[in-house]
Amino acid sequence: MKGLPSLLASFSLPGALFSHYRRHPLQLLALAVMIVLATMLWTGVNHLTSQARASLNQSEQAVAERQQVVRDDGQMLAVDDFVALRLVGVCVMPWLEVTPETGNRLVGIDPLAAYCFGSRNRPSPALDQPLNGKPFLDMGVATAIKSRDSRLYLLTPDTTQTADLPGGYQLTSFSTSPDTGELGDSFLLNLEALGILVLLITALLLRSVYLLGLVQRRDSFALLHRFGVSPDRVQRWLVFEILALALMCVVPGVGLGRWLAAGLGGGFGQALDGLFDIPLYAGQGQGWAMPVLVMLAVVVIACLGDLLLLRFRERLSLILPKTVYSGLAALLLVAGLAMAWLAPSLPWVFIAVALVFAGAGWLAPYAVARIARWCAGRSTKPLALWRYRELAVLARRLTLPLVALQFALAMVLAVQALVTTFEDTFDRWLGQRLEAAYYIEVPAGADGRQAAEWLTRQQTNTPGLQWHRVMRGQAQVTGTDNANNPQVDVFAVAPVGALIRSWSLLEAADQHWEALDSGSGVMINEQLARRQNLSVGNNLKLRLGNQQRVMPIQGIYPDYGRPVGEILLSAETLPDSFNVRFESFSVTPGKPGIAQMTDALQGIWQVEALSMRDNGTIRELATSVFDQTFALTRAMTLLTLILAAAALLMMGWVFFSTRAWYFRLLVAWGMSQRQVAGQLLRLALLLTGGIAVLALPLGIWLTWVLVHRINPLAFGWTLPMAVYPAFWFELGMLSLAVGLSIAALMRRQLGRPAVAPVSASALTGGER
Amino acid sequence: MIRHGMLLLTLFVFLGCSSDNSDEGFAGLAGVEQSVRLDTPYLQPGSGDQLNFPEDFGPHPQHRIEWWYLTANLETTKGEPLGLQWTQFRQALQPRAVSESAPAATDWPLQAAWMAHAAVSWKGQHYFAEKLARGDVGNAGATAAPFQVWLDNWLLSGNEANDRWQLQAAGDGWNYDLTLTIEGEPVAHGEAGFSAKSASGEGSMYFSLVDIAIAGEVTLGGEVLEVRGKGWFDREWSSQLLKTGQKGWDWFALHLNSGDKLMAFRLRDESGSFLSGTWLPAKGAPVPLGADELNLKELERREGVPVRWQLSVPDYHLAIELSAPPGDYLNSGLYPYWESPVSVSGSHQGEGYMELTGYAD
Amino acid sequence: MAESLLAVRGLSKHFVSGNETVPVIEKLSFTLGQGQSLALTGRSGSGKSTLLNLLCGLELADAGTIVLQGQVFETGAKIARQKAMKWSSLRRQQIGVVFQEANLMPALTLLENVQFRAQLAGRSTASSQDWLTRLDIGALAQRYPDQVSGGQRQRAALAMVFAMEPALILADEPTGSLDRHTADEVTQVLFDLQARYGCGLILATHDAELAAGCQQHLDLGHLSSL
Ligand SMILES: Nc1ncnc2c1ncn2[C@@H]1O[C@H](COP(=O)(O)OP(=O)(O)OP(=O)(O)O)[C@@H](O)[C@H]1O
Ligand SMILES: [Mg+2]
Repeated sequence: MKGLPSLLASFSLPGALFSHYRRHPLQLLALAVMIVLATMLWTGVNHLTSQARASLNQSEQAVAERQQVVRDDGQMLAVDDFVALRLVGVCVMPWLEVTPETGNRLVGIDPLAAYCFGSRNRPSPALDQPLNGKPFLDMGVATAIKSRDSRLYLLTPDTTQTADLPGGYQLTSFSTSPDTGELGDSFLLNLEALGILVLLITALLLRSVYLLGLVQRRDSFALLHRFGVSPDRVQRWLVFEILALALMCVVPGVGLGRWLAAGLGGGFGQALDGLFDIPLYAGQGQGWAMPVLVMLAVVVIACLGDLLLLRFRERLSLILPKTVYSGLAALLLVAGLAMAWLAPSLPWVFIAVALVFAGAGWLAPYAVARIARWCAGRSTKPLALWRYRELAVLARRLTLPLVALQFALAMVLAVQALVTTFEDTFDRWLGQRLEAAYYIEVPAGADGRQAAEWLTRQQTNTPGLQWHRVMRGQAQVTGTDNANNPQVDVFAVAPVGALIRSWSLLEAADQHWEALDSGSGVMINEQLARRQNLSVGNNLKLRLGNQQRVMPIQGIYPDYGRPVGEILLSAETLPDSFNVRFESFSVTPGKPGIAQMTDALQGIWQVEALSMRDNGTIRELATSVFDQTFALTRAMTLLTLILAAAALLMMGWVFFSTRAWYFRLLVAWGMSQRQVAGQLLRLALLLTGGIAVLALPLGIWLTWVLVHRINPLAFGWTLPMAVYPAFWFELGMLSLAVGLSIAALMRRQLGRPAVAPVSASALTGGER
Repeated sequence: MIRHGMLLLTLFVFLGCSSDNSDEGFAGLAGVEQSVRLDTPYLQPGSGDQLNFPEDFGPHPQHRIEWWYLTANLETTKGEPLGLQWTQFRQALQPRAVSESAPAATDWPLQAAWMAHAAVSWKGQHYFAEKLARGDVGNAGATAAPFQVWLDNWLLSGNEANDRWQLQAAGDGWNYDLTLTIEGEPVAHGEAGFSAKSASGEGSMYFSLVDIAIAGEVTLGGEVLEVRGKGWFDREWSSQLLKTGQKGWDWFALHLNSGDKLMAFRLRDESGSFLSGTWLPAKGAPVPLGADELNLKELERREGVPVRWQLSVPDYHLAIELSAPPGDYLNSGLYPYWESPVSVSGSHQGEGYMELTGYAD
Repeated sequence: MAESLLAVRGLSKHFVSGNETVPVIEKLSFTLGQGQSLALTGRSGSGKSTLLNLLCGLELADAGTIVLQGQVFETGAKIARQKAMKWSSLRRQQIGVVFQEANLMPALTLLENVQFRAQLAGRSTASSQDWLTRLDIGALAQRYPDQVSGGQRQRAALAMVFAMEPALILADEPTGSLDRHTADEVTQVLFDLQARYGCGLILATHDAELAAGCQQHLDLGHLSSL
């Protein structure tokens, strides 16, 4: 007889283990499907994020190198500056923007000088392409072009530091067109943080499905144990089993995820191409190895984590009673909250988020159970008592899927708020920069004043005409703690009309627009306010041209993603010595249309053509880029939520089924089926509703962290925090729908006679 | 060094200035220029051309290509050998008569492109850096008096008597700063400075300074090394170098312990090769060596590059073996080539430098 | 016999498994007087549990009449829902059901279970603790079902049933999973209390000894399908 167990042990142990799945193929299928879906979801999110990042990086590289060298004295750069910088070893490359008398703007570059940027740090991918005319030309050719306007920039790689520069020069950022880089970066950083959250949620879901299967196989394990198979051997086979399953499912999952991302995300790069007029390669780059390995690791850790941690956990539970556990969780939560509030840098915020999620995830089911017990203690009706006690059991038994749902809800909440905020911000950002329908550049040598006078005359008899004159240049903020007085951009407008007055301000004094108009005040952008610690009412000391001025700050305007300080003031107050580097008109032509306006201006300025930008198209293109990303992000998070909800539904149903006997017992005790079904409904709704309620603060907190902590730390500007109660309501409804579905499934079960549990064990639903 | 013609050709294909490469004569160099002004043709060096000093230390804008080339076998205070190279190339895109003044820098002219290489070989490690610039703008150029050759912050400059030079160059995390003391007069190769590069008579103007005492500092990753030793300086310019079918070139410059010196090169060809050199006895005038007076044989290759050679000049009882130290001495710039110190053994002892091109691919 | 607690006439029940009809109970008739006990015996699968389910309305008969406490349940009654409600209210207040196992709500303590059942039946919960004491498990009142032994659980189940002051107790092998000694103790308590409070008892059991303790005996005998 000794032969049988050893035979079983040596030959058919895997068979015996697997026989469970032969009898319950659906369980195996559920686990496999969950692995595939989880892998697909995460790969999709991850792939999309990296794709979006690659595209944005490309576009940024194409349109704007980050840094340029400028002169301290604000003078235009010339070839001498290039030579002076090169001779002391600073890598600079000339970038000559010329606007020919006819035709579009061209850029002259020197590929020989660009060589020092190194191949990884090329200022523009276009340099790899033949320079057959447009828009890049050799410096020599560009210089020879008869142009209305030309300006030399000296670009320098990211690695160049201020200390590398000789005296008289400084570094500033360089951009040639509206640079969505910072905004995009910020969005992607947040997307990445959420990607990690998706990974966590999928891990929780996987674990819950796996544990469910394991519980149902406990009988077979006990049997094997009786046959003399050591638990170690069983465990080894279980490890092998899950690894094999993971391998089989992860690869198709990654494939599906890539397919999903490619299908959905392909347009992102195309939209960018359209925006910047330069063919951009939307990064694929991402291999298979990384997602496959990550997901394998996740599956193994999620499913077998406790095998690995078993001994540690046993020891821990010996030392720590339950209350200490939840105390520890509360401590984590509080520590995380405090850290998120005080964190000085990004990594700390991320640690804080991890702590808060760990704490909240750990605490939530306990909290539900606790509250349920507390309610039970206060309830006088036996049914209420029973219901709360059942709820407490459910909360503890369904910990994993509940936490997964909670996280998913919180994440969807945060993503929704974030995406909406970004959309809004992006919209406003565009609105602010492209406030008028058209930008018309004042040609070199032409007099902007004449045009302004003409427009003022038109104002009275042209309905819908809105305009202002823009003069750009630089000024120096003086009298700061900062030893080297920071250079700021000057954005001077006149008149301070409706176009400007539609700007939304972060902070403003009374009568701010009037003060700005009369020249008795300035407005500053958020960056400057933050950097110099300025607020409304403070005086700003300025050197404008050769004049020293002290002006009160009338308002602070958001300037999403611009890393440079900027001041807004009335152009009327600019001293003559102010060096106007760029002059243009922002015009919404109103009824007569733009053609009439350009004709008139051409006449005034005595030029053949005008350099004009149609802001409508730019806006459309830019919006379409982000719209797609936003939509994708929403879709992905919603998918996560649906997965989490489905998992809870499945787990809830299975768990409720194990307790079917006891629900039937209520019928045996004289409650009608309808009454019992009603009780089950209330129970299920309490459970899923409770988790939605617990997810709400977590979601709002996560939004706050993304918008108010991560973004300022990473980029130096805040996004407005907005809450969307209507969406909370939608999510609440979704949770309740899950509860309703569980109850409906149970109601069907109640109709069938239940089999009495053989023994009151965890296996059969007798837990409390 | 022919490949530098190729290199710059590649560069200008990259620049997009090139039309198609009509591959006739010399490697299609004729296709490089956009507009060759007929009134100013390229000057072709030839038999009978003379060297002029100090002018020939400066640039030759009417020649297509030229270089200033320093190699040095140095030693640290601990007696460890250290090899060093500095080279600056000029490639004309448009010839300009010496009498004609340079175009204005503000026009960002593109008559010439400059390239500089610097390398240090120490303890089997090879440090290399490359710089490019356009000429006539100001950050790259050369002058004969005072003698200066520069590209960005790399600079070779001589004193008034032009017998003491300073050289600075820097790569990523390393740099050198050397003082060179020039002893002896320039040595003309070939026929009073005209060095034939093929049997059919094409060639370049070529002279060397072969007695250069060097002292200075080499900084490698924060470590400052005091070095001293001797160097070899080449000046060469031409308008036509590489014949179609020529594959590459092997060049050797050796300081023998006997006080004698030797320069030898071989141009490799599909059909054979062109061998030439100069014997520089310790005392007495340099002797040009023809193909039949020199024997050169590869002994061993390291990853495709011949690193051991047998060289003999029977007339002077020279039978030596040259070997590169262990390591990889590929200058991996736009166009890679091998540049390493060599040690001499056999009938004579000594050291020197070896440049090998056309093996990389 | 007019005063009988329960009268069963021509009761039949069959199950359909697959496309086969399996008759379990066929034309069964018997009566049970007030305070009387009846032992239900028969082989496994002979229909004991099925009969008990029919007698408390957890399952509905195919044919026959059940008269319980003067209420008449006939097959084919027009309004099934009304019938179900009648059965529900009977189960709540008149019929105490004891199963072989799992008679207690796992999330409630023994005392809470008793109170719950009593309250459902509309009885006072004041005596709940007394019932537990009377069944010798007063000290375990605050324990949960999984914290006491199988015998103690069945005692608690009996306490629950008596606390609702039923007219009829239907016990389906209440000691089936207990050892001999414990089973005897539990049955003894059951018989004592049944006698003292004068409720009817139908006890399904395999155990001839137990059956002998009852006043009446009904043997379902063989598997009805054979
Ligand atoms: N819901 C059902 N559907 C189909 N057949 C059933 C159903 N319930 C019981 N049966 C069948 O009816 C017969 C009687 O079952 P029942 O449970 O009443 O037997 P029992 O006498 O209580 O047996 P035991 O002593 O094993 O408890 C059995 O053959 C059983 O298989
Ligand atoms: Mg039975």
